[in-house]
Amino acid sequence: MTQFDLSRRHLLAMGLGGVGAYALGSRGLMAQQNQVALQLSWLHSVQFAGSYIADERGFWESRGLSVRLDAGGPNAPVEPPVVTGTALVGISAADYTAAAVQQGAPFRIIGVAMQNNPFAIASLPDNPVNTPQDLEGKRIGMPLANMPVLRTLATLNNVDIDAIEVIPTQYDAAPLVAGEVDCLLCWSTDLPVAMFVRGIDSVTMLMADFGYTLHSQTYIATEDSIANRRAELVALMAGEVAGWNAYREDLDAATDLTLARFPDAGLDRPTQIEQARRQVPLMFSDLTDAQGFGWFTEETVARNIETLALLDMPVEPELWDRSILEEVHG
Amino acid sequence: MTPALRLPFVPEPVFRQMAAMLVTLALWQLAAMGLAGRYMLAGPVEVVQHILQNYGLLSRALWVTFQNAAWGFVAGNLAAIGLALIVALVPQTRMLVAALALVVFCLPLVATGPILRVLYGPGPGPQITLAALAVYYTTFIPLLVGLRAAPASWFDLIRLYGRGAWTVFVQVRVMASLPYLLAGLQIAAPAAFLGAMVGEFTGADRGIGVLALRAMRGLDVEATWAIALIAAAVSMLAYGAIGRITRTKADTQPEMLMAVKPEPSAQLVSARVFRIVMLVALTAALVIALWWALMEIFALNRFFAKRPDDVWRYLVTAPTAQANRAVLWAATSASLEYLIPGYLAGLALGVAGALALTLAPALGSGVLPVAIALRSVPIVTTAPLIVLALGRGAAGTITIVAVMTFFPALVACLQGLRQTPGQVLDVMRLYATNPVTRLWYAQIPAMLPAFFAAARLSVPAAILAITVAEWLATGRGLGALMALTASTSDYNLLWSAIVVVTLGACIGYGLVSMVERAVLVRVAPEQLRN
Repeated sequence: MTQFDLSRRHLLAMGLGGVGAYALGSRGLMAQQNQVALQLSWLHSVQFAGSYIADERGFWESRGLSVRLDAGGPNAPVEPPVVTGTALVGISAADYTAAAVQQGAPFRIIGVAMQNNPFAIASLPDNPVNTPQDLEGKRIGMPLANMPVLRTLATLNNVDIDAIEVIPTQYDAAPLVAGEVDCLLCWSTDLPVAMFVRGIDSVTMLMADFGYTLHSQTYIATEDSIANRRAELVALMAGEVAGWNAYREDLDAATDLTLARFPDAGLDRPTQIEQARRQVPLMFSDLTDAQGFGWFTEETVARNIETLALLDMPVEPELWDRSILEEVHG
Repeated sequence: MTPALRLPFVPEPVFRQMAAMLVTLALWQLAAMGLAGRYMLAGPVEVVQHILQNYGLLSRALWVTFQNAAWGFVAGNLAAIGLALIVALVPQTRMLVAALALVVFCLPLVATGPILRVLYGPGPGPQITLAALAVYYTTFIPLLVGLRAAPASWFDLIRLYGRGAWTVFVQVRVMASLPYLLAGLQIAAPAAFLGAMVGEFTGADRGIGVLALRAMRGLDVEATWAIALIAAAVSMLAYGAIGRITRTKADTQPEMLMAVKPEPSAQLVSARVFRIVMLVALTAALVIALWWALMEIFALNRFFAKRPDDVWRYLVTAPTAQANRAVLWAATSASLEYLIPGYLAGLALGVAGALALTLAPALGSGVLPVAIALRSVPIVTTAPLIVLALGRGAAGTITIVAVMTFFPALVACLQGLRQTPGQVLDVMRLYATNPVTRLWYAQIPAMLPAFFAAARLSVPAAILAITVAEWLATGRGLGALMALTASTSDYNLLWSAIVVVTLGACIGYGLVSMVERAVLVRVAPEQLRN
């Protein structure tokens, strides 16, 4: 009985907490700020810690902007909210954006959070995949949707795609651990991290090291927004740049902030800090050191276009629009 | 169970249930220990540990999901009541409203989720709507029956007192329908929870669905199983609570009707075929008109909100139409390959289980709670677990579909078996007919109407199961194809897949109805009469 009372009081307290949070939220709205939304590509996690820092430290507020961060998920649309204007900016990827543009979406890529593509082949140390050639004769687990990715990697490295046995799986490391497959196609920042945290050693071969050049976590906006809502776009991107720079300086603080901000998201510190570490080399490079976070050049764009062509997604260099970033860094 | 083993003050059925539960827990723990290190199964000890350690987190998440499910439950059931009232007040609309309701119920969650998210923006809108969509049909159908389930003498009585149609409606029909409404609500409760969880996959900050995703991707087996257990417990509690209300509030308890009885047959076969063709044509026309009108009224962006003509172009007139159709067909046949065996196996096992329980009733008290428990576990949490345990091939997927069809079939068949006329059984007993013969000649024919009702309603449920399994675990077939849209923005393909799945579900439903009619004409012709 005691326990029941306890839980009831707990629920009551939570209800009051909810009311309080609501009141705080509406006070935030009353301030004279331009309210816009940033559509994230996945559930809240350290993957978007730079944005949380921008929000918490007022990097947007000082620029007259209030940014709502909309969570993504496995069944969450990213591109449609940007097309319809629900979100001013979305976090997409070069291939997703190219596909949406093929379907008639008026998008431009206005910044690149991940200079290096996070796609990787994860395997176990006693049967490792260190180079694309090692894939021949192996069973790889991946969603069939990623076939073009594997085919492109094979083409780029003269690997016989027919010599790889594809086993359809969804996003989960268990098939590898249980020995159902020899390797997985995944992001270097998630399934390998899950295995690492559980004490399972794994080998991660980053596909970007073998010619798979594709911008990821790209910021997209519509042509209309770029023409008519420039000030807001510049303010949003300036906050992102400042937030991610702060992230790089203190990964622990960024992780703690993420955990504190989303106590109900089921995040654990070991996973989040490891993910935070592993995404640093993907997001920051010599190029961003020289030019600033999010930057891209004609040359990196050209390499992206080559990879996209192999993925059967012909695009023009005009898909990338650097004018917003130039204002931010200029 | 010998009396010597009985604990004092514990009634026998409770004791038996406790024993069944203990055996289940022990087997579970043993299995988990056997599979240790493979990241598949966490035993009850680890699960309880996880729940205790994460009590605050889990209870907050549960509260969020529960609220959304509850709102969806209310909204969906109000919609069901509204639809049933329309039918009661304007009986001519009955078949048409039922057909439209079926079409909407058959829409695949995997595809409707993201579309709802775009329509609502951030917030609990999609969670609540998906919960409502998951429940309204299973309430609507029993209500339809309930509003007509009054003896003719009651109507006569009211007329005798010179009262009109309104009094008949309020005093007789509404009252008569209450037990049926409660029966519908009982099935609806677990479904609402599932709908709310799937809604969270479209982008939510918190909730049980969010935690489930995190656990599955993080190799966190303890959390995965803890969440599955909590979701099942909540669903079962809701099921049980509404069952209790039913028993205390309703004087009579109706058989749990899972679908409308077939329409009374017209005299001529040709007339019946004509009626069906008309109904199908009218329904199709209405669905297309509604689809179009809603999109235009809300001015939905054509990038993702494809109109019927977009789908027509994509599948028929476009230069790539043939290739498009080939993609859809390949995925459809991949799904059917596992769907049909799973569906049939589930039904067969349901019948077999019900018959076994009838021949050996002692099993019943142990098996039924387990059956209800397993039926309540949301498919989104079980699908990946079953695939993990049985593999990505045929076995895993077929099992998921079978599980989804098995329980409704079992419950319906048990209820059907109880409908066997007592006099018939008495006569057979008098002649010392053996139990198997009794089953074959009396009880099975009595069971068939309920069985077919369950078989029809299991068609959309089986399709839901296979698309969820393909989407979350196996990555093949129509479920994966629909989820693929997230990366390709190929909304023509998504809408075409919605059309294919919905049409497929309706055709399956129709086929089962045809088999039903053919069988019932022989074994239970009274079911087809007015």
